[in-house]
Amino acid sequence: MNKTGRNGGRGELLVLLEAAQSKSAHISRDTITELAESLDLSIGEVYGVASFYSFLSTKPQGRNIIRICKSLPCLLKHAQTIIDSVRQEIGILPGETTPDGRFSFELTNCIGACDKAPAMMVNSDVHGDLTPKKIAKVLQAYK
Amino acid sequence: MALLVTLNGTQVRGRPGQTILELAQENGVDIPTLCHHADLSPLGACRVCVVEVEGSRTLVGSCHTPIADGMVIHTHSPKVLESRRVIVELLLASHSGVCYMCDKANMCELRKIAAELDVGLPRFQVRKHYYPLEDVSPYIARDLTKCIMCRRCVRACNEVAKHDVFAIAYRGFDSKIVVDFDQPIDKEVCRDCGVCIPFCPTGALSQPRETKTEKKGKPLVVTS
Amino acid sequence: MPEKRVVLKNCGVIDPQDIASYLAADGFKALEKALKLHLKQVIDEVKASELRGRGGAGFPCGLKWEFASKAQGNEKYVICNADEGEVGTFKDRYILENDPFSLIEGIAIAGYAIGAKKAYIYLRAEYHFLLDLLQNAIAQAKKKGFLGHLDIEVREGAGAYVCGEESALMDSIEGKRGEVRYRPPFPPTSGLWGKPTIINNVETLTNIPRIILNGAEWFGKMGTEKSKGTKVFSVSGDVAKPGVYELVLGSPLRELVEKLAKAEKVKTVQIGGATGRIIPYAMIDASLSFESVLGAGAITVFDESRDIIDIVGKTMEFLAEESCGKCTPCREGTEVMVETMERLGRGEGLKKDIKVLEELAETMMLCSMCGLGQAAPIPVVDSLEHFRGEYENRIRQS
Repeated sequence: MNKTGRNGGRGELLVLLEAAQSKSAHISRDTITELAESLDLSIGEVYGVASFYSFLSTKPQGRNIIRICKSLPCLLKHAQTIIDSVRQEIGILPGETTPDGRFSFELTNCIGACDKAPAMMVNSDVHGDLTPKKIAKVLQAYK
Repeated sequence: MALLVTLNGTQVRGRPGQTILELAQENGVDIPTLCHHADLSPLGACRVCVVEVEGSRTLVGSCHTPIADGMVIHTHSPKVLESRRVIVELLLASHSGVCYMCDKANMCELRKIAAELDVGLPRFQVRKHYYPLEDVSPYIARDLTKCIMCRRCVRACNEVAKHDVFAIAYRGFDSKIVVDFDQPIDKEVCRDCGVCIPFCPTGALSQPRETKTEKKGKPLVVTS
Repeated sequence: MPEKRVVLKNCGVIDPQDIASYLAADGFKALEKALKLHLKQVIDEVKASELRGRGGAGFPCGLKWEFASKAQGNEKYVICNADEGEVGTFKDRYILENDPFSLIEGIAIAGYAIGAKKAYIYLRAEYHFLLDLLQNAIAQAKKKGFLGHLDIEVREGAGAYVCGEESALMDSIEGKRGEVRYRPPFPPTSGLWGKPTIINNVETLTNIPRIILNGAEWFGKMGTEKSKGTKVFSVSGDVAKPGVYELVLGSPLRELVEKLAKAEKVKTVQIGGATGRIIPYAMIDASLSFESVLGAGAITVFDESRDIIDIVGKTMEFLAEESCGKCTPCREGTEVMVETMERLGRGEGLKKDIKVLEELAETMMLCSMCGLGQAAPIPVVDSLEHFRGEYENRIRQS
């Protein structure tokens, strides 16, 4: 492995971090340490990359991640009522994880579903044209 | 092959590959810099060294822009000076160091440039960066409240000391120079090196204060 | 001018899962034609079409290709920018969902033209649900023997708007933080891993097969003097029919907003997302073109009930959150603007605020390192020009 190499080297860092994120719902310190060693990078360098991207998390997260879009096209279509409904449904605030580890709740920037506003992502599924009434049913599918 | 460049109205000769900053320095024109350091690779992040190049929509960073034949450069036009002032003002607005309590005092490059550009109290209202003082290491003290993200320490550590202790983490206004998992600096590799300390333009990096040594001289007595 | 489906001609017509339906719609005929031409002829055709980048910046596509083609070195790259992150934009998603094959054909032609053996599609994390579809389309094209000269790999983003900026995008593919680079050097000379690279938007590349197959002359008949062809728009906000519409360049904004998307009582339209222009209803007859207003095709409509200070405040919040943080004007400037807009929103503006905002905007536009920072103050500048009264009303009178 070399530091600047294209294959298997540094160029794979983001891919490897993404893989770790999807496998264990976060990037642990052990993972960062291992990646730093195998790619011959400093821990800080790997941590710096992991902390840059908003879909990567260095803190443990729930089994399912809810991301409600808070950008203007969704806000115009009452995204706030969706945020409130999710909050009531799962009993936590944005930035938190339910005690049973089922959901993490986040607000996110434009997800490119403005034609179906208000919209949210649960894991990588996009749910659009939401109404407060639909929330419970949508979330039911995620255990 | 010499390149002909007009620098502040005067025709000068430069070499291919030379930056605008290098050409200016060679010709006795003083352009302020913060993130730039002659011993480090260029970064272009602070934008204090911007200059006007005729035909360019924006100002350009002089520390990283190579000269070209026929280039017409203004290093101190009103537009340039105003922009530099605003940039320094921005840096001061979120900087929470208090100059009269800072060890860097008159050695501080930010303070020096602010004075030269006639920047006083910043007009911008923005939250300040507050971080706890890192004084666990006996070899280096770090006060990130004074950091202006010039990354000279990161490059000095990587390129000069070859230690890779520092890295950049987070994003935007929250970006920060970190060690490992964003821990207070106290690493084996940091002992006795100290290479980065003189590279810091502000008081963010310093040698820990020796408080136990005896100070000679009379105690300060104020009499009316 | 009515809707005209050139880029979107296959959307809703073919089966995006099945290459056979694409082949039945003249699929890969442009590539076959291009491969019989000298690469210079391909570039000349693209140059002659005067196709300009559809990602927002509008750089002439053929020129970009020519620079990369002439650059030294055997190792060159094509990158398709599918990191569609601009607020209110979803037209690339629509293209990817409905016609991934046209994009792949465009990439294959680009690869041949500049002499690249490797191409990347940088797909934003939010579009992860399209990954299988895209990879399936690549696999089918490969199986049919269309990608003998070029390996196409999909790389995923991880949630960072700034990675839609070409230099940040390249750093991200290189496994780094998505921070911008200073230029020069420009990507066609020194891009991904320092090698000559072209970076084109999804829509730009989807135009390529049409241009090669029908010719530059056909393409040049559409549009205005400096804006040839069509543009795909994403319309959202206060409209009855949000969605994706393709119009000939130079069409009036009114047609898109009122006639097609059925907006009523429009107060203002944001064109080009967070870094786009904010124009008042009085300018609704503006032409959608590079000469006038365009951006990447995001059209967000706000009706008369909306508050400008709130719109601009939310926009600045987005930009501050998404600034990479490398250069001072963008990192600090967007944050100052957020705080100022918040204060104005509470009706606690200071008398100096407007002047300070204007001076700050000027410096951000002149000195930021990339297009994001340079364009970040546009919402403030435009709204101050057209809706100054709303700012003045929020200044504390005491």
